[in-house]
Amino acid sequence: MITPQLLISGVIFGLSIGSIYFLLAIGLSLCFGLMRIISLDQLLYYSIGANITYSVNLLSGNMWWGVLAGMAVAALASFAVERVIFLRIYARDPTFSMITSFGILIGGIGIIKYFWGVVPRPVEVPTLLQVSIFGTEVPVYRLIVIAIAAVVYIGIWLFLHRTIVGKAIRAAIEDVEHVEGLGINVSRLFTLTFIIAGALSGLAGGLHAPLIMVDPTMGLEMLAFVFMVVIIGGLGSIKGTLVSALVIGQVVSLGSIIYAPMAQMAPFVIMLLVLLIKPTGLYGSPVFKR
Amino acid sequence: MNALRWWWGILLTFALLGIARVFLPLPFMNEVVIFSIYAMGCNFLIGRVGYISFGQPAYLAFGAYACAFYLFYFGTNPYVGILVGVLGGLIVSLLIGPLFVRLRSDYFAMVNLALAVIVFYLTQKVLVGITHGDNGLWFLTRISSTPLLDLTIPSHFFIFSLLLAALVWAFYKYLDDSIYGACCLATKINENKLQFLGYHNFSIRLLAFVIANSTTALAGAMYAVYLGFVSPEMASPSRAADPVIVTILGGVGTLFGPIVGAIAYTGMKDVISKLIGNWELFIGFLLVFIMLVADKGIWGSLAPVLEKWLFRRKSPDSRGHD
Repeated sequence: MITPQLLISGVIFGLSIGSIYFLLAIGLSLCFGLMRIISLDQLLYYSIGANITYSVNLLSGNMWWGVLAGMAVAALASFAVERVIFLRIYARDPTFSMITSFGILIGGIGIIKYFWGVVPRPVEVPTLLQVSIFGTEVPVYRLIVIAIAAVVYIGIWLFLHRTIVGKAIRAAIEDVEHVEGLGINVSRLFTLTFIIAGALSGLAGGLHAPLIMVDPTMGLEMLAFVFMVVIIGGLGSIKGTLVSALVIGQVVSLGSIIYAPMAQMAPFVIMLLVLLIKPTGLYGSPVFKR
Repeated sequence: MNALRWWWGILLTFALLGIARVFLPLPFMNEVVIFSIYAMGCNFLIGRVGYISFGQPAYLAFGAYACAFYLFYFGTNPYVGILVGVLGGLIVSLLIGPLFVRLRSDYFAMVNLALAVIVFYLTQKVLVGITHGDNGLWFLTRISSTPLLDLTIPSHFFIFSLLLAALVWAFYKYLDDSIYGACCLATKINENKLQFLGYHNFSIRLLAFVIANSTTALAGAMYAVYLGFVSPEMASPSRAADPVIVTILGGVGTLFGPIVGAIAYTGMKDVISKLIGNWELFIGFLLVFIMLVADKGIWGSLAPVLEKWLFRRKSPDSRGHD
């Protein structure tokens, strides 16, 4: 029943959807690792990115400008939210930030509904080219998405390991107080991380827009999958996020080839199994540091 | 005298609710009473055990669907239906509870939200054969009339739900005053200390989880009987925060909080939806506002003032109400 062609296109599809999950989940994971907040509003920046991409694509006819504009607006929005709201709640419990960010997410969906309406809208794919991989026709756009995610992963890795700011961020993930004691402006570090996370979420939204329909509640639909990616990988771990995003992408994609409803259920079962064995996820740190 | 103090709050509240029935439309009052039961479970989890659960709609749906399956496929008696709903919630929370309560509170919140989304998919797409997907299950005409309190008549249903809410409220009041309630609070504040005292954190949390989610399932079953239909919309992720919002709006960890919150939330929902129509915008920013400015909630900020005003002439050791 499963032909090699189907398998290859399924794997490519899974990789591209996994890339989107990765771009989205990395924001949540970074925010938790550094600031100890559960930032559900990343899904708002994802919706913003997708909606801006739709509008700019309609105006200029070029989707890539839309993606860039979406990233920029998402980064601006996350900057504003961080300065106005999150600044006041860093010192409090992580679940506290979860409620607050859920409020931001729901409120933001209301704003998007106000500007763009509730009707789902398609975004045209920038390139309809297909390439042949082992005799299977694969859309180039999906390969581009995978490539962008790979570049982002390498970029984040280089940023965290090769620049002084990135090293400060990694040190702050381990112990905020010591980094503060070294005279590094932790508050600015937090803002920077939050903006990077927001921009990456916006990028994810923009890249995902041509593959699905753009509507205000698209963030809520992604919520469960992104959560499962972050939980399986372990909160605060970038490597874990990458691994689990790729796994979940394949499970969703190949699962839907075998039995369609399984695509939604299987990640949840995997998550339960992982939590059964390791309650903090694959790469999560066992102790809860503050 | 002591017994009177124990009871006066509950009598007063439910007498007020009963009186309000005369002035306010019946559907609104029914909604408020069911919602307050829904929020009570959530309030117990947040206020006493320190677990914030965004997955309450999942347990609501478990209760509602268990009740609906009974009423749609097997029987006609609404009381049995509600019982089946509560049992359904009890069994499900006993099954998944041991897995969930081991988690840290932040993971707990996220796993529960994922559960709610999965239940939504489960009822909407996977189990279409028995849940009829988005069409939902309709069984209003199948519910049979019962003698004393006929649940098919809204005014009788109101009396029934009011009695049930009073019962649930009294139960939580009893829990709060018992050693077990103190243990729950202790797991929230300092679990290591509790362990040194010889208590088992896991079983305390598991019991709290089961109690709270059975309450939620009860609310779900009551929704099912009251509306006469269930649909996947019940577990929709966009409504995931409803009980949490109500609990925080009312005041976390207070006994009157859920009732005050339910009245305020349902009232605002009715008024705002009519006025501006963009409900999400309002509720989202309300939530942020409450979290930033007044995280004690309505009752939490009101209670000290009322207490001072009402018990001015009483001795300082009188506990009053809480």
